[in-house]
Amino acid sequence: MPTILGELAGVEATSPEYMRLHVLSKLALPLSISISILFVKDPASALSLVLIAGLACKAAGIPLSSIKKYLAVIVSMSSFIVLSFALFTRMPGKVLYEATLYKFKAEKGVFEWTIEVTDTSLTYASVFILRIFAMVLSAILLLGTVTDRDLIWGLRSLKLPFGACVAASLFFRGIQFFVADFNTIREAMMARGVDFAKISLARKFLLYINALIPLLSLMITRSYEVSLALEARGIAPSSRALSSYHRYGLSHSDYIVLVLSLSLSLAYILWWWLL
Amino acid sequence: MSEVKRRVTWMHIVTFAFATAISYVLAVVSSLIFPVLGAPGVSALYVASAIYVPLGVWMGLWGALAGYLSCFFLGLYPSGYSVVQSLIWSVADFIEAFIPALIYRAMRVDPDFRAKRPWAAKMLPLFISTGTVLLLIGMTVQILWGATYGEPFTTAYVVLVYVGSALAAIGIVMGLLAGDVRTWMAQILSIVSAAFCSGLWGAGTLTVFNLPPPLPAELFWPIFVGWVLSDLIVLSVIGTALLVALTPVFKRTGLLVRGWWA
Repeated sequence: MPTILGELAGVEATSPEYMRLHVLSKLALPLSISISILFVKDPASALSLVLIAGLACKAAGIPLSSIKKYLAVIVSMSSFIVLSFALFTRMPGKVLYEATLYKFKAEKGVFEWTIEVTDTSLTYASVFILRIFAMVLSAILLLGTVTDRDLIWGLRSLKLPFGACVAASLFFRGIQFFVADFNTIREAMMARGVDFAKISLARKFLLYINALIPLLSLMITRSYEVSLALEARGIAPSSRALSSYHRYGLSHSDYIVLVLSLSLSLAYILWWWLL
Repeated sequence: MSEVKRRVTWMHIVTFAFATAISYVLAVVSSLIFPVLGAPGVSALYVASAIYVPLGVWMGLWGALAGYLSCFFLGLYPSGYSVVQSLIWSVADFIEAFIPALIYRAMRVDPDFRAKRPWAAKMLPLFISTGTVLLLIGMTVQILWGATYGEPFTTAYVVLVYVGSALAAIGIVMGLLAGDVRTWMAQILSIVSAAFCSGLWGAGTLTVFNLPPPLPAELFWPIFVGWVLSDLIVLSVIGTALLVALTPVFKRTGLLVRGWWA
């Protein structure tokens, strides 16, 4: 069963031990990393969290090269963080570089736009950038290890009604349906002479927007068919499963992961408190 | 005669699940093709909002929930926010669909988008969006610089606010001419308030108040302006077009939700 990130970007966890964990454990570890990010205040704690998140991904068998899928995010956010600290903020500290970009006399004083880089602004920027790495790795760990079946079994083990379980399942199937429908409409447009390789971005955008109306109409038709099928089977949205073919219990490894996750958050809270 | 009790049916749940999937795919595509650089997940043309905001009008809280969940998954992939950050940030898209749903229900509007004067319906989004954007830029200039430095920022603020208000007022008059007055007034109010409120929450949680905000507080204004601008364009042009085209379909199939859930 492919993981969510496997379906979206082809990145899968390969460790069978990790993949056998209960969905609660698979959710707890990335959640604990995301809570720890909140308590990261200096480069040392930020760097240690990045390393821990990287190790967790490694333990789950997710190749660290999968971070390339988030390369655009990391590069754009990092560069804007550096720019915002240099162009829009004046942080106290030792000035390493200063230049005036624009200056004129306004009614109440002189308006100045300067680039100012101080040692404090560099420290702040590095903490923000390291946090991004930790944040991205926690997202990879979550999506790379959880399958849609995990989520649905998890929802069923919580005794949630069929309405919630079916909705979760249909959301993941719906992504594939939508992409298939979109390709059908795109092919229909190409059959009518649209050359997507040659037309401008603005024209392409307009054509895609026009495709939304048939796509939504198809969505309504498909919803109608699926709803009729569910009703024909006598399943009510509020009914709950009385029995299950799948036992979904916590193992010793789950307890270890849950304790580790809790300890991780507590350690970072303590570190933050002692700083 | 007693009113028939409306219940949640599979049709509501299934349509919500599929709409969430479509919104998610469109959100990913929009944030990759038209990104607001430095703010992953924020798009200069966030087409997904054209799905879940009309869905809020048609299906009440189902639309708001579709907005929330599609944005939550967008936050995780490809934006790369942590689970906690994404859970908080996604409320922006919940608000964006919830506000139109609230306005239509508070004003007791039965959506009727049949245009009596199609030219007015076509021109309305242009005037409303341009007017609101100018107002927003004017206010930003005044808050950031006008209050501290005075002239020439104050003059720029006054000009932008006057021109923006005039264009928005023309847009409102066109709304009155376009067709059913209550429907079009609700639509104009929805577009402007949804864009502002979701922009405040979205840009705020990216820069000022998240656990922790992924970006520095100094980036609030560029992201806020980009967010509101994008939403105004998408909601007024694409969202309104979808409402005009598909409202009769939702009415015919019984999918139109009169309350919040059914």
